[in-house]
Amino acid sequence: MIVFSQVNKFYGDFQVLKDINLTINKGEVVVVIGPSGSGKSTLLRCINHLESISNGTLTVNEVSVSDKKTDINKLRKEIGMVFQHFHLYPHKTVLQNITLAPMKVLGQSDEEAKKIAMKYLEKVGIAEKANALPSQLSGGQQQRVAIARGLAMNPEIMLFDEPTSALDPEMIGEVLDVMKALAHEGMTMVVVTHEMGFAREVADRIVFMDQGQILEEAIPAEFYAEPKEERAKLFLSRILNH
Amino acid sequence: MDFAGAYSIDHLKFLLEGFGLTLYMAVIAIICSFIIGAVIAIIRYAKVPVISQILAVIVEIIRNLPLLLLIFFTYLALPDIGIKFNPIPAAIIALTIFEAAMLSEIIRSGLNSIDKGQIEAARSSGLNYIQTLWHIILPQALRRMVPPIVSQFISLLKDTSLAVVVSVPELLHSGQIIYGQKQAYLVPILLLIVMMYFVVNYALSILSRRLEVKNT
Repeated sequence: MIVFSQVNKFYGDFQVLKDINLTINKGEVVVVIGPSGSGKSTLLRCINHLESISNGTLTVNEVSVSDKKTDINKLRKEIGMVFQHFHLYPHKTVLQNITLAPMKVLGQSDEEAKKIAMKYLEKVGIAEKANALPSQLSGGQQQRVAIARGLAMNPEIMLFDEPTSALDPEMIGEVLDVMKALAHEGMTMVVVTHEMGFAREVADRIVFMDQGQILEEAIPAEFYAEPKEERAKLFLSRILNH
Repeated sequence: MDFAGAYSIDHLKFLLEGFGLTLYMAVIAIICSFIIGAVIAIIRYAKVPVISQILAVIVEIIRNLPLLLLIFFTYLALPDIGIKFNPIPAAIIALTIFEAAMLSEIIRSGLNSIDKGQIEAARSSGLNYIQTLWHIILPQALRRMVPPIVSQFISLLKDTSLAVVVSVPELLHSGQIIYGQKQAYLVPILLLIVMMYFVVNYALSILSRRLEVKNT
């Protein structure tokens, strides 16, 4: 479904992604971990073309993301994204945040979009906040709205860019629970996170990155039991024994 | 000081006509300069190649010139290259050009103040650039821009008095004609003019404050 093949990306002379080869299949949950600055967020942001690749090929549903002829807005309809800092629209209510894209991009009627929005708000457990403004919500609630906003487009893929890193510790659980439920329903998910518990429990595959490269790809059981790479061992020992 | 003589019915009617012209010029210049300023700001915000660089240069030049010079230029210099305006249109055009340059900078900085994450969230949901600008960036930016925009409108209204130099019969010009007849009229008439400007501009500041409160 998502295929990186020999992808490189440079910021000037600095290489953020090096020879990335990665295939993500339909229904798979892939968790990308690694130290800060390792390129994991950049990798994720290339998938929906928030960042462009310098060379190599990257396809989503067999459509090239970097090809200038690709209708990027059409491609993005199929890819939901959740950000570290939520990025809800502060001037719109929770409901309006969710219905905007389905109405403007998919052409849904106001009524239809609201019905779908309410369905997803119920799913993430905050239907009662439909008419609140984002500023009236806690961080965990805002992130759940952001997830509902992504889901309302009925995407085939959901990208999560450190979705719990900006949250108070006690709110992390409610967001992870929503993500777990989504994973169990068979959503294709690419998740950049430091939540090792989530990775171990939900991921079909762990991708470990460092300095712009994918150093290791393994199923969680193997990865956590015995990472092959020295760098991954070091990273795990630091993150698990803090 | 002759208040009774200065405030005769004829004089008041004459002053109100002048004030009417002042408001007329201000309203037209406000509407036109806001539209032009917004278009310039959006083109520069969107970094449309070539056009935005050209506009940047023009805006910088105009912003750094005195408005008085622009009024002289429009009325006195343009006829030399065959473009001739009557005083009132000349003053309105000069005001519009000047204020459009000022407003474009206010609007552009308002647009730039919106977090780039807002754009990323909107674009990643499939909205195109124009939709993102219209539904996400502009509404948020406009709220932040209300106070500086209104204060720019207030300066514009005051700046219409500069049109006196090309003999536009606006408020100040009408006043000059009245107190030109008699020295004793000078203070009463100037006081009245002060009041007229103050009332309208103060009403605008109150409006701006109301809008600000509503938005927070």
